[in-house]
Amino acid sequence: MNQIKIIVIAWICMLSVSVTAQTTNYQVYALLVVNIARHSAWPGSTTGDMEITVLGKSKVYDELLKQNGKSVNGHTLKVKQVESITDIGQPNILYIADGKSGLIEKILEATEGKPVMVIGEREGLFKKGAGFSFVVLENNTLRYDINNTELEKRQIKLSKNLSSLANLTI
Amino acid sequence: MLKKFARTLLFFLSYFAINAQDLDSLLNLNAFTEESDLQKILNKNVAVSTQKLATRETPSIISIITAEEIRNSGARDITDILRMVPGFDVLQDLQFVMGIGLRGSWANEGKVLVMMDGQPFNELLYQSVAIGNRFPVDAIERIEIIRGPGSAVYGGSAEYGVINIITKATESLNGVVVYGTAGFHADAVGRTNGGVMAASKGEKFSWDFSLFKGKGIVSDQKYQDLFQASDVQDLSKTTHSDPMNINLGLRCKGLSIRTMYDQFETSDPSSNVSFENYYLDVQYKLKLSQKIKLTPRLQYMRQVPWRYDYPDTPGPDFDVKAVRTLGQLDGEIDVNRKININVGALYFKDQSTDRLTDEAMLTLNNFAVYAQALFKHRLANATIGFRFEKNNRYNGAFVPRLALTKKIENLHFKILYSKSFRSPSLQNIQLDTTGAKPEKSNVFEFELGYQFTPKMLLAVNTFYISTNDIIIYGSKGEGDTFKEWYESSSKSGSQGVEVVYSIRKKKWYGQLTYSYSQAIKDNSVGNYVVSQTRKQYAGMLAHKVTLNTNFYLTPKFSVNPTFILGGKRYAFTEIDVDDKPVSTELDPYVLCNVFFNYNDLLPGLTLGAGVYDLFNERPGIPQAYNGGEGAYAPIPGRSREYVVKLSYQINFKK
Repeated sequence: MNQIKIIVIAWICMLSVSVTAQTTNYQVYALLVVNIARHSAWPGSTTGDMEITVLGKSKVYDELLKQNGKSVNGHTLKVKQVESITDIGQPNILYIADGKSGLIEKILEATEGKPVMVIGEREGLFKKGAGFSFVVLENNTLRYDINNTELEKRQIKLSKNLSSLANLTI
Repeated sequence: MLKKFARTLLFFLSYFAINAQDLDSLLNLNAFTEESDLQKILNKNVAVSTQKLATRETPSIISIITAEEIRNSGARDITDILRMVPGFDVLQDLQFVMGIGLRGSWANEGKVLVMMDGQPFNELLYQSVAIGNRFPVDAIERIEIIRGPGSAVYGGSAEYGVINIITKATESLNGVVVYGTAGFHADAVGRTNGGVMAASKGEKFSWDFSLFKGKGIVSDQKYQDLFQASDVQDLSKTTHSDPMNINLGLRCKGLSIRTMYDQFETSDPSSNVSFENYYLDVQYKLKLSQKIKLTPRLQYMRQVPWRYDYPDTPGPDFDVKAVRTLGQLDGEIDVNRKININVGALYFKDQSTDRLTDEAMLTLNNFAVYAQALFKHRLANATIGFRFEKNNRYNGAFVPRLALTKKIENLHFKILYSKSFRSPSLQNIQLDTTGAKPEKSNVFEFELGYQFTPKMLLAVNTFYISTNDIIIYGSKGEGDTFKEWYESSSKSGSQGVEVVYSIRKKKWYGQLTYSYSQAIKDNSVGNYVVSQTRKQYAGMLAHKVTLNTNFYLTPKFSVNPTFILGGKRYAFTEIDVDDKPVSTELDPYVLCNVFFNYNDLLPGLTLGAGVYDLFNERPGIPQAYNGGEGAYAPIPGRSREYVVKLSYQINFKK
């Protein structure tokens, strides 16, 4: 049996190379966030930066960071990450990492009446008050659901195209 | 002010119009990174699970063997393929008929359901499946194996496992293929098998046809029977193993019809044994709405299994016909994207008739209902299901099933609990001595898997199987004094661990597996016990390591070494002074095989050649229990076999 153990260990050692596995493609999430920003309009936002804040740890932040400083509809994209609700401030988009989804009620309270678009990484969060939340369909494509009522409350307007391509809207 | 508003509005609208195309193109973006070749296999929905889940989330421990792996390995028959699967082994039943051992237990009768193109190969008299030089391995598209119970879905023949063989003709072929295999030992021809298959796939109408026929021997070695009642026999001259299969399928919109004839003839030195199966299966997939599908099914099976003949005596010695007529209604309801329900009911009638006396023997009227619900949640997929089956001769069997599975990025887990059962078959009841009742198992399984890279997966699972009221075969005497019977013993089972490490790169792939099984402490089946240890049953491996590797030396030319390391076994190989079988230790073995394959040597022509059992280890195939007065010595393993394979494929124009 010792021979068998040696073969098993040698095989694993020989092949244990660390490379990223097939996992969630956060680049696609980030791409959709930027496009949502591109196809939305905030009240009185003719000048200034387009601020995107990621609440919690998500690889989407790393992907969004690659877009930092680029122009979206004439606004400079500014991406930052915070860990606490108290640090949210008033960004154009607040992206809630999956691990912070449980704080949705407190987040809504903290941003009530403000033109902050809340995007949830976790599926179904739009039903709890997020303006957008992502959903992975059966064929593994990434789509989004929209809560129009919540967005209207915050006076955020979406292009018809953006709305029409949603998986679900309420 | 109005002008300014109009200008802003115009800018807004025109901007969106310009970018509309961009947005559309985002709709088909995959939420996951690109699939590697390994992931393409792993992410494919597994038909045998009946649920729309990929391998890593299916609520069963699954092995998938692809056509590419079979072709490159040069597998001679189904035995070569199953030996590479963790927990599987091949053992002897009676009369040199070989069956499946799984996870350290003898699983030949009613414990592993074997299907080919949806048709069950377990015969109706004893529910056994004879393997060996059977099944057209070169015609197989994919084999899906559940290395665990499948009774809640598949009923009373799937207590420990399910093997689902899908042929190329039914799945991917749109053309004609002719193929052949020849195997040569030093002093004998091991086998000459060949076949043809043709299929045409259309949106509305499809058909497929396959013919497979072969001729082979059970072994090329010398054999001395356990009681030394006969002279030493040269098995290359006194045994045969001849398969034949004709398979025809038609599909027109929702209607599908399959008919199949299968014959397998084998022998030991003193008797010929044959298995004959005929199937007719008609199904209609009815889509009532987007969410509800119904499939009514009618199936007819006519079999003459275990027909045996001692040439010394006039006429066949056992010749019993078994017939099954089955009606089933299966429903699938997609409640929403997260909830899927599968429900169904079936009735089937099994009848046996002794063809020697033309007397009806037994009729069993069976009915079953089953339901299974899958709930997909972000934390886990939950499967809850059950099956209830009853017939006119025994109390009903209720088997629930619970499973939690989930793939979280690189990690996946499966927590599985199933009750499973083996329903007493026609002969189990006919020859029963202790009151026929369904054998039931409690099976716990846990799997943890981690994908190190897109091309590399490690999965480890443990299992615990406890079987109650186990149906045990017994026999004594021979010829005119031969008697056989069934009795229920209180308990048997096993526990163990299985490890699968897969890697698949562009130019090579490999799979390393390890399986360990151990008999449970309170086993009550005396026939399984050997004197040397209580941890292993007769004939069973405790430790097995397999390594299958394939290297593409050029895009068309590959070399495929495989290794199987089997640990110590204990089997009945001698008799004592009272003529009672005595167990001895069988040495560990290393089976090494090398196969070279050249695809598209000419367009459509594939040529392969290789050596099986390169080191000429010839591990014997022992009987899986103490056969008492009718015990068989292990079938001597085949010697080194040189294998040549040839296939030619012409594709139809689309």
